[in-house]
Amino acid sequence: MTFLAPWAFAIAGIAAAGMVLLHLVARSRPAAYVLPTTRFIPDRRTLVSRAATRPRDLLLLALRVLLLLSAGAAFARPVRTPARGAIARVLLLDRSSSVANARDAVARARAIASDGVPTTVIAFDTTARVLTMPAWDSLSAASVAPWEGAGSLSAALVAARRAAGALAARADSVQLVVVSPIEARALDAATLRIRAQWPGAVRIERVALRADSSARWRLERVLSPDDPLGPAVIAQLSAGAGKVTRLSRSAATAADSAFARAGGTVVHWDSTSAVRARAEGLAAGEDVVVASLGRTTVPLHGRVLARWADGTAAAVERRLDAGCVRDVGIAVPAGGDIALHPAFQRIVRTLLAPCGQMAPEQASRADSAAVSLLVGTTRSAAPGAALRSDTNRYSPLATWLLALALLLAITEMTVRRRATAEGA
Amino acid sequence: MSAGPPPYGALLDAVRGVRWPAARRVTGATLGAHPSQLRGNSSEFSEFRLYRQGDDPRRVDWRLLARSDRAYVRLTTDRATFRTSMLVDASASMAFPLPGMAKWRLARDLAIGLASVAHAEADPVGLTVAGEAPGVLAPRARRSVLLEMMRLLDATSPGGATPLAPLVSSARASRLVIITDLLGDRDELLAAARLRVASRDELIVVHVIAEEELEPPVSSLLAVDPEQPALRRILDGALRTEYKERFSRWLDETAAAVRAAGVRYVRAPTSEAAPHLVRRIAGETARRGA
Repeated sequence: MTFLAPWAFAIAGIAAAGMVLLHLVARSRPAAYVLPTTRFIPDRRTLVSRAATRPRDLLLLALRVLLLLSAGAAFARPVRTPARGAIARVLLLDRSSSVANARDAVARARAIASDGVPTTVIAFDTTARVLTMPAWDSLSAASVAPWEGAGSLSAALVAARRAAGALAARADSVQLVVVSPIEARALDAATLRIRAQWPGAVRIERVALRADSSARWRLERVLSPDDPLGPAVIAQLSAGAGKVTRLSRSAATAADSAFARAGGTVVHWDSTSAVRARAEGLAAGEDVVVASLGRTTVPLHGRVLARWADGTAAAVERRLDAGCVRDVGIAVPAGGDIALHPAFQRIVRTLLAPCGQMAPEQASRADSAAVSLLVGTTRSAAPGAALRSDTNRYSPLATWLLALALLLAITEMTVRRRATAEGA
Repeated sequence: MSAGPPPYGALLDAVRGVRWPAARRVTGATLGAHPSQLRGNSSEFSEFRLYRQGDDPRRVDWRLLARSDRAYVRLTTDRATFRTSMLVDASASMAFPLPGMAKWRLARDLAIGLASVAHAEADPVGLTVAGEAPGVLAPRARRSVLLEMMRLLDATSPGGATPLAPLVSSARASRLVIITDLLGDRDELLAAARLRVASRDELIVVHVIAEEELEPPVSSLLAVDPEQPALRRILDGALRTEYKERFSRWLDETAAAVRAAGVRYVRAPTSEAAPHLVRRIAGETARRGA
């Protein structure tokens, strides 16, 4: 048993001691004394105080002391203290698209958590989610599916801090382990400040960055020599044997759909429609191009990969079973050097990348300085006392103690009135 | 009170021989011990005065006429009795402090002592007791009057709050001794006394003060006024000093007011013995008369 707000109980104790002192100071009318010259006594007081060696009104005193102590105990919020272990662990598992091999990451996390230390696993990408035991058990199966979205270490650290508050009640110290490639994009302006809130070291288990294997995809179809998109596409070609991206410059066919359902990536970049080029602004990720480009219609649904300057979608991606189909509405004019522009080539690379992958240029590891700041200068786990967030814990005893205080207050009032009536 | 006569023997012995002359010449016609305003045929020669028309020719001193060839009448000093009465305050405030009632005992002894002194000079003495049941003894010179006074006082228990002023006005005496603590109708009493003084009566206020009134008990107490039971006030260490200052100031103011009314003021604390007080009262009068 412990108190969440022990100061309240201390205040109640002081008040109870004060009450005893007040009962030792008896304020009463002294014995009557006939004095003919009473009129010359200043009319100021009707009671006198005197110190006594034994407190008076013992029943009232007992009721008042109990009332104060029970109210103080209620406000101190007593809670049962569970048995506390030496250490607990919060494990942050990166499940963002930056992880090259989710299976490896899960295996690494399982290996870390297999030492018997109570562990709370938090999977994070852009958001963080505490994995309950069934979810943790099934994580290996879920990891087979491609993970989407960029990771956010800030969100993960906030979730870890919250989970540690609960874990700290059962452990003297809490260890924080991050299983992640620590991609540079996972760090934002708030990450290091949030990290500073963790009062201990952060153990980082780095796994492979997905960008490390991003080159292992290839284009299935080579463009015609006079295709204006050619210079940009050729710059992306590689001899890898990974996933296959099919670039379709004509209307989509049933074979393309079947290819996508089988897990492939179909980029439908129609060049048959004749559109008039004009000055346009095109943005995809952090790359922006202002050039003479034409717009073609793209479906309204799906994930937007690139947008025109006015906000309308320039390229969208639709999931299709294991794969995806991308519709690109960017018409590249036959004349001009836009295909040679590096920013446009990066946009093309983003649009041709296999489903769920990002452009390798965008996936980079965080620099060592940032990682060092994440790890911290101390080597010890965070002390539990610094992590406990007891203020929000619910104390079921507090309600009963308040009810007892209320009952005692009513009893005290009744006894006091009765004593006053008898005294009168 | 006991049924028998109170033990006044020691008091009477102590005041025996004390003389209590009137403060001024008295007007009585009965032969007594006090110098009278009348000049007549007594043997106590006073002075010669030139004969004036209307004087009794029998009072002309013929020998002096023969020696001086002028007619002088022989004047003598007459002496007369002085009707003296005691007005004793028997209000509840005189029954203090309990249980001894020192104020009442002193007032009673003073009344008997002064009456015996006056009676010894053949003055008629009377007594008025201002209590719940007022008792009045008209001034008389007979031998048993002192015993009657003793019985009346012995039968009286102080109580109530009888006003003294009406009794001052109605007292049938030329010398009126008011024995009181002045805690009742002081202002009315002084107003009535002024009228008596204006008619050349001699009034003496004997202010009886208990030691416990001057120095109340040190312990905290709830003081209750015996004449106004609703008046209850706490008296403890902090208020005691202020009480004493107020009471002392009131005593001084009262003495000044009494004297301003032309009345003799004698403070009689209970710590002072009654015979001593009797001698002081009578002696001061004697000095004033001289």
